[in-house]
Amino acid sequence: MQAQFSVSDADITALTSTGWLAWLQARYDEPVGETGVAWLNSQGHNAITAEKRYRARKFGDYMIWNQLLAGPDQMRKRMALALSETFVVSLNSLEAIYPSYLIAAYWDVLTAHAFGNFRQLLEALTLNAGMGAFLNTRGNLREDSRGRQPDENFAREVMQLFTIGLYELNPDGTHKLDANSKPVETYTQEDVTNLARVFTGYEWDYLSNGGTSTPVTWERNAIPSTHLATNPMRFNSNNHSRVEVNFLGTKITITTPGADALHIALDRLFYHDNTGPFFARQMIQRLVTSNPTPEYVQRVATVFGNNGSGVRGDLKAVWTAILTDEEARAMPTAADTLFGKMREPIVRFAQWARTAEVASSNGEYVIDDLSAPETMLGQSPLQSPSVFNFFRPGYVPPNTAIATAGKVAPEFQIHNETSTAGYINFMQRVTRNGIRDVKPSYATLLPIAHDIPAVVDWLNLRLTANQLTSQTLGVVRAALRTFNINASSSSSEKHDMLATACFLILISPGYLVQK
Amino acid sequence: MQLSALGVATPLAINLAAIGEAAAFDATDYKALVCVFLYGGNDYANTVVPYDAANYAKYHEIRAGVAGEDEAGIALARADLTATALTPLDGAVLTDGLQYALAPQLVGLKSLFDAGQLGIQLNVGPLIQPTTLAQYQSSDKVANPLPPKIFSHNDQTSIWQSDGSEGSTNGWGGRLGDIALASNSSNAQLTCISASSNAVFVAGRDALQYQISPGGAIRIKALDGPLRNAVNNIVTRSSTHVLESECTEVTRRSIDLEGSVNTALAGVTLTRAFPTGNRLARQMQVVARLIGANAALGVKRQVFFVSLGGFDTHNSLMSRHQRLLTWLDGAMSAFYAATVELGVANKVTTFTASDFGRTLSSNSDGSDHGWGSHHFVMGGAVKGGRFYGTAPHVSIETDDQVGQGRLLPTTAVDQFGATLAQWFGCEPSELPGILPNIGNFSNANVGFL
Repeated sequence: MQAQFSVSDADITALTSTGWLAWLQARYDEPVGETGVAWLNSQGHNAITAEKRYRARKFGDYMIWNQLLAGPDQMRKRMALALSETFVVSLNSLEAIYPSYLIAAYWDVLTAHAFGNFRQLLEALTLNAGMGAFLNTRGNLREDSRGRQPDENFAREVMQLFTIGLYELNPDGTHKLDANSKPVETYTQEDVTNLARVFTGYEWDYLSNGGTSTPVTWERNAIPSTHLATNPMRFNSNNHSRVEVNFLGTKITITTPGADALHIALDRLFYHDNTGPFFARQMIQRLVTSNPTPEYVQRVATVFGNNGSGVRGDLKAVWTAILTDEEARAMPTAADTLFGKMREPIVRFAQWARTAEVASSNGEYVIDDLSAPETMLGQSPLQSPSVFNFFRPGYVPPNTAIATAGKVAPEFQIHNETSTAGYINFMQRVTRNGIRDVKPSYATLLPIAHDIPAVVDWLNLRLTANQLTSQTLGVVRAALRTFNINASSSSSEKHDMLATACFLILISPGYLVQK
Repeated sequence: MQLSALGVATPLAINLAAIGEAAAFDATDYKALVCVFLYGGNDYANTVVPYDAANYAKYHEIRAGVAGEDEAGIALARADLTATALTPLDGAVLTDGLQYALAPQLVGLKSLFDAGQLGIQLNVGPLIQPTTLAQYQSSDKVANPLPPKIFSHNDQTSIWQSDGSEGSTNGWGGRLGDIALASNSSNAQLTCISASSNAVFVAGRDALQYQISPGGAIRIKALDGPLRNAVNNIVTRSSTHVLESECTEVTRRSIDLEGSVNTALAGVTLTRAFPTGNRLARQMQVVARLIGANAALGVKRQVFFVSLGGFDTHNSLMSRHQRLLTWLDGAMSAFYAATVELGVANKVTTFTASDFGRTLSSNSDGSDHGWGSHHFVMGGAVKGGRFYGTAPHVSIETDDQVGQGRLLPTTAVDQFGATLAQWFGCEPSELPGILPNIGNFSNANVGFL
């Protein structure tokens, strides 16, 4: 459950017989499933017609829900979702042309590199067209004699959010302190202003790899093909800064070619002492627990620094280190009242959908942005309100025992009186009816629906790793018995009872907190 | 003791006994503060715009890269500012003889300025103590402390709201709520309310943030159906696990307050129309309705938080900013009119805040992260039609900016907040507990209230 959205019988068998390492290796060996872009193409969303699908954002939502709810390679996608919450690009900020392809191509970068290397991932997302649009590397122009300055957006966020963070870190992720016991800032505004020069001169590449442009009668301008989204941005030296760069103690001279400058800058960030612990802690938070011990962070950060074969940034090794760490694998104890994390709403919904064996009646996956907290999930993949994700790694819910204990709980940033009620109402609806063409089948459960203890046990294992209390299980079983289901009940009656079983488990605090 | 640990069914008497000692005011009337947070960092220079010929020329030269008065680069056209040019009611003369105009979209706010219900606080931002450019540049940060991470969104958002970087657990709106809890009798949990997402601004040391959706409180539908006992049992079940327990607390509060809040809202008639298709207006509408329900809810002091995102205008500043300001103007104007209709215009003070201001310099079609900014204060109690604080030069070289026109604040957020706090009923002696740096400034009241 820390590694995927849901678990299958095959997963359980493999884990118990061959163990974690073999199971993980099998996941790493799985080929990449259908990409987001390939899926959009398969649905004809690249058609240049008066319907103007090239302007619609909603196909980006359908794409990501298809990716998360269907397909076999779900560990890769679970890791990509975690990455998408650190290296944020948001569909809701993409405008004008092909927002769905821009977000899909960005998502495909994450899945392609999820089992690759951090350094390649960093470069690929820097040059990704969607990231370029989101953080303004696209069209970023050099300084000029009339006072124009390079845009600092990407330069700032690549340091603050993607690689090194704000403060100097020890190898275990804790802050280094100066002589006055204050944290030491990693960079200054001057570093940002200097680094921004590196990211000037980039623009969308419309034509490489067979890109075309189609004149149409219903728009003034010709409509480009989707290559602008799938091609990495191209470099135009005319628009590149002519000023020397000095950042974080690294100098890049004005004669350095643009591509080399980029490599030097990204290497500087990749090899920074902060990057390992900074990234390790956030990925542990996304997958395992909101408050890892410094020792856990350091063990993962050490693997980030060296996978055992001298390679830095090997993400497979990082995932293995996170998921097989003693802290992740220890059985929760009653005494450890802070271990774990709140499951984020996207993961709850995806876990339910896969466990309920949802299927689309027509392949369209008409599931929109589910961000509305009052009526839906209060969160939707690739729909962060800003580059700061749905929640921050350092979020402390005020006036709680979590705050008193000096701990953080990122997911609580999107949890409140409205979202908790909205989620409960949403899950009651969805567990029964699904969404549009995407319906739950409950295929495996229907034949045993009359056996309430078996149903509840099956769901408890697959949704919570048997972590619900006996009291909660008792309440669920009692509620299900009122349905009076027997072997000859109609499948519609059985379906309703199974939906209720899922609903009651999915709203229980014992489920909401993954331990 | 944690308020949340008491459970919502428990009276607040235990906490209030302690808080009552500290509360200097015994509120018999009603007052509300409303924070309108502009997430992303509002571009000050295209919100409150130099309009007189000489200063406009400098503005245009910097923002467009050329001389002129037409729209160019990220400079607005001078002719488009004529209708919203501002003449201070007190005849004050600003720095370099500056005359300002509001952005052309801010026609409603311009009317409120002229009518004396809107004041403009110039160049306000986070400061620990009064700071000159030389002190900003000084390497001696012990003698010349600065707020941490001045140009970072999340940290400056947190500092504006709470005086601390990200991870702060209480904000000055919430701390004001703390001293008001005792006045709010049985509905003390409705002292601090966000109609936006969770915001540290409205979390106090004791006061909890209550979150409400634009449509009102959300009812859990299953509690009205055959599953009600099972659902109620499951979602309110206590747990020894801290995270689970907190889930339960939030759900309990949701359930317990939903009935009284929605009943009170149903009793409020508001004929004033709010603009549609405007996220901020929807939030401000429910705030107006809650304010209208203050007597029914038995509350005397409330702090509200609403927000509008999208102000991080690194690119397409001209089109995006105009759309955002149209929403801001529509929402704030309608809200003021609603408070007039409810007869509480003098009892409600609304102010804007934002992560930071932006650069005066252009990055071709946008502006970058800055520091100080101009903000609005609106309400019947506001001494409006005037400017407060010090107008910055229109310059990327003067010593009231730290480069590219990133303003070095001349009024601290703590001074701005302290002015609002004293109107709200806070005694000067209580200010340091609410705005911790206020003692470093000689003037704890900017004067707009």
